[in-house]
Amino acid sequence: MLIPERVSERRLSIPNNPITGILLAIPAYFAGVWFGTLFGLNDERNTGVILGYVFATAAFLAGVGFLNYPLERLFGWRVTPISDPDENRGIGRFFRLSLDHKVIGIQYLVTILLMLLFGGIGAMLIRTSLLVPDASITPPGNYLPLIGLHSVMMIFITSAVIVGPFGNYLVPLMIGARRMAFPRLEALSFWVVPPAAVILAAATFWGGFPTGWTGYPPLSEQALQGMDSYIVGFTLIAIALVTSGVNMLATIIGLRAPGMTWTRLPMFVWGIFTTSILGLLAAPVLAAALTMLAMDRSVQTTFFLASNGGSNYLWENLFWFFGHPEVYIFILPAFGIIMEIVPHFARKPLWGYRTGVVGLFGVALLSWFVWQHHLFVSGIAPVLRPFYMLSTELISIPTGIIFLVTLGTLWRARVWFTVPMLFCLGFLFNFLIGGISGVYLSDVPTDVTLHGSYFSMAHFHYTIMGGEIFALMAACYYWLPKMTGKMLSPTIGRVHFWMMFIAFNSTFFPLFLAGLLNMPRRVSTYDPSLVGLNRWVSISAYFLFASMVLFAGNLIYSWFFVAKPAVANPWHARSLEWQVPTPPPVRNFDRVPVIVAGPYDYGIPNARPVADLGGIVGATGGG
Amino acid sequence: MAVRTRSYEAAADAEALLDTRLVAVGTWLFLAAEIFFFAAWWFAFFYLRALNNNQAWRAHDAGPPSKGYGAVVLALALMTAVSYFLGSRQPTRTILFRLLTPVALVFGIATCFFQGYEMWHLGFGLTDGGYPSVFSGMTGSWVIQFALATAWLGSIVMQTGPAGDTVVRRRPAASFAWVLLFLAAMGVVNYVLLYLVA
Repeated sequence: MLIPERVSERRLSIPNNPITGILLAIPAYFAGVWFGTLFGLNDERNTGVILGYVFATAAFLAGVGFLNYPLERLFGWRVTPISDPDENRGIGRFFRLSLDHKVIGIQYLVTILLMLLFGGIGAMLIRTSLLVPDASITPPGNYLPLIGLHSVMMIFITSAVIVGPFGNYLVPLMIGARRMAFPRLEALSFWVVPPAAVILAAATFWGGFPTGWTGYPPLSEQALQGMDSYIVGFTLIAIALVTSGVNMLATIIGLRAPGMTWTRLPMFVWGIFTTSILGLLAAPVLAAALTMLAMDRSVQTTFFLASNGGSNYLWENLFWFFGHPEVYIFILPAFGIIMEIVPHFARKPLWGYRTGVVGLFGVALLSWFVWQHHLFVSGIAPVLRPFYMLSTELISIPTGIIFLVTLGTLWRARVWFTVPMLFCLGFLFNFLIGGISGVYLSDVPTDVTLHGSYFSMAHFHYTIMGGEIFALMAACYYWLPKMTGKMLSPTIGRVHFWMMFIAFNSTFFPLFLAGLLNMPRRVSTYDPSLVGLNRWVSISAYFLFASMVLFAGNLIYSWFFVAKPAVANPWHARSLEWQVPTPPPVRNFDRVPVIVAGPYDYGIPNARPVADLGGIVGATGGG
Repeated sequence: MAVRTRSYEAAADAEALLDTRLVAVGTWLFLAAEIFFFAAWWFAFFYLRALNNNQAWRAHDAGPPSKGYGAVVLALALMTAVSYFLGSRQPTRTILFRLLTPVALVFGIATCFFQGYEMWHLGFGLTDGGYPSVFSGMTGSWVIQFALATAWLGSIVMQTGPAGDTVVRRRPAASFAWVLLFLAAMGVVNYVLLYLVA
C-alpha cells in the first residue's frame, strides 16, 4: 500500500547549525570532485569542481536544516511546523536557521557588510595597482582576476544589499503583516548567500576568472577552474533572487493589513515590489545561460562555440537580458528609499505619489527593452541600433519622473537636515551625474567611442555606488535605530557623509576625464601622461574606503558602546514601522493594525494617524 | 472609528484561507519565473538554428532521437500531470484521490526513468553541433525539474495519512497540480521544437 496509514512522529536528530553545515560541506566537496571524475566526462577537472561546489552547497544547506522539511514530508513523518519565534530570543538565533523575518534581515545585513568590506579591499588593490602606469605592482595575469573578483562580489552585494536586510526586515512591518508569506523560502534566499560568497572567493585558489562580471565566451570557456566558481556562485545568487522575489511579491500581494490599499503602500515597498518582479523574471534567464556555460565547460557541448554550431552572441544576449534589468534591480529599491525618506524629513506629503509609482513601473518595464545597447560594439546588426538607442534614452523619462517627485517634495519644504536626509541629497546629486552620463552612453556614436573606456566605468559607479550605496547609507542611518534599538551617532554620521560624498566625487568624476582621454578599462597599464590623474583618483579612493571604515566604526560604537537605547520613533515619522516598539516585538503587532491613512500626510490639518493599532485579532491579508 | 473584532476560531479559519491564497499566488509567481527559464532555452534553439554557424547546427547528421520514444515520454508526463490534477480536485478521503495520486507518482517516476534512458542513448555526441547542445540542455533541465516535482509528489502521497500535511493543508497540495501541468506543457513545447521543428 503506497499511502501510509498514519503519520509518524519521528524527527531527524542531526543538530542543525552552520557548523554542521560546514562539517558536511567539506567532505561533500571532495565527494563531488571524485564523482565528477568517476563519471568519465570529457573534462574531469571542470566537472569535478562544479559538482564539488554543488555537493558542498547542498550539504551545507542540509546541515543548516533545509533538508528537514522535505525529508520529513518524504518519509511520511509529521512535518515540523514553523517554530514559534518566542522560543528563541538569544544571540544564537542569528547564527542558525531562523524563520523570523527580522532575524533574517539582521543576518543579511551583517553578511552583506562583510562582503562589502571584501569587495572594497579588492577596489583598493585595483587603485593601488593603478598608482603606476605600468604593470609593476600587479601583473596583467593577476589584474584581470582582481577586477573579476571585485566586480562579481560587488554585483552580489548590490543585488541584495537593500532587498536582503531592509526588504526582509521592514516590508512586513510597513504593510502591517506579522510574518513573510514563505519564511522557509526567505531563509533559503539568505543561506545561499554565504556559500556563494565562499565559492566566489575560492576562485582565487584556482587562478581567478579573467572575464569580469560579464563572463563572455570564448574567454570564459578557455579560463581555468576559477571560472567554475563564477558559474556556481552566480547561479546561487540567481536562486536567491528568485526565492526572494516569490516571497516578497506574495507577501506584498497577500499579507497587507486591512486598509493597506495599493494607494497607501509606502514607496519603499513599491521599490521592493518592482525590483522583485525584475529579479523573479530576469534571474531564471541567467540561470539558464550559466547552465549552458557549465555544460560547455564540463560535458563539452558547444552553445558558445561558433566553429561547432554555437555562438558567443547567444551568451551576450542571454546575459544582458538578465544583466540590464539587474542594474535596475540595484536601483529601484534605492529610488524607493529616497521617495520614502524625503517626505519624512521635508515634513510634506510626497508630491505625486501615483506618479512616483508609475515612474518605478516605467523603469521596470523599459528595462526589458534596452539590453542590446551593451552589444553596440560587439558587432550586432546595425539596423537594431536605433531601436535600442531610443529605448535606452526613453528610460530616462520615468527616471526623471522619480527625480521630479522627489524634488517636488523638497520644493519650499523646511528640510530637517538629518544624516539620512544628507545621504538622500547626496544620492540626488550623484545619480543625476550618473543618469545624464548614461544618456550620453546610450547614443551609438558616443558608446562606440567610449564603451571600452573609463567613462563607462565612471558612469556605472556613479549610478550604483553614488546612487544605491548612498541610498543604502540613508537607509542604515534611518532604519537601524528601529532594527537594532540603537541610534547611530549623528556627529560621526555627518563626518562620514561629507567624507564619503567628497571622496566619492573626487574618485569617480576624474574618471570621466580619464575615459575621454582614452584610458581603457580592465587594463593594468595606461599612458604615462595620465599618472597624475590616476594618483589623485587612487588617493581619493583611499579616503572613500576610510569613510566606509568610519561608518563601520560608527556601527560598532553605537551597537556596543552606547548604553542608551533608541526611542521608538526618533524621526517622528508617520509610517507604520515607526508605530511599533523598538526593537519590534516578535510578532510585530499584538493585533493586526487597521490602516486608516497614508504614510505621508505631513502638515495636513487634522490628518488621522496612519493606523488603528487596536486592530483585529488574526490573520493579515486583503488590503 | 469602530474596530472590527473576530473570534480566535474565525482567525484560525482566516489563517487557513490566507495560507491557501499565499500558496496560490506563490505558485503562479514561481511559474512566471519558470516561463522565463524555459524561454531562454527556446531562444537558444531558434537563435542557433537560425545562425547555423559553420553549417554545424546539426553536424554529422545529428538529428532528433526516436520520435516515437519521445512521444511515449511526453505521454507519461501528461498522464502524470492529468491524473494528479484530477485527483487533487477530489476530497482527500475519497477513493478517487487515494487511487489517482499514487498512479500519478508511478507515471512521474516512469517519465523520469524513460527520459533518463533516452538521454544516455541519444545516438549523437554532445559535440556534434548546436542541436545536440540544445537538446541535451533543454531536455536535461526539464527532466531534472520533473524529477524534483515527482519527488515532491512523492512527499504529497506520503503525507496523505490521517493528520498528514496533504490532509491538513489540502489546498497547497491542490495548487501543486498546476506545477505538474505546467511542466507537462513545457514538455509538449520542447517535443514540438526538438523532435518536429528541428
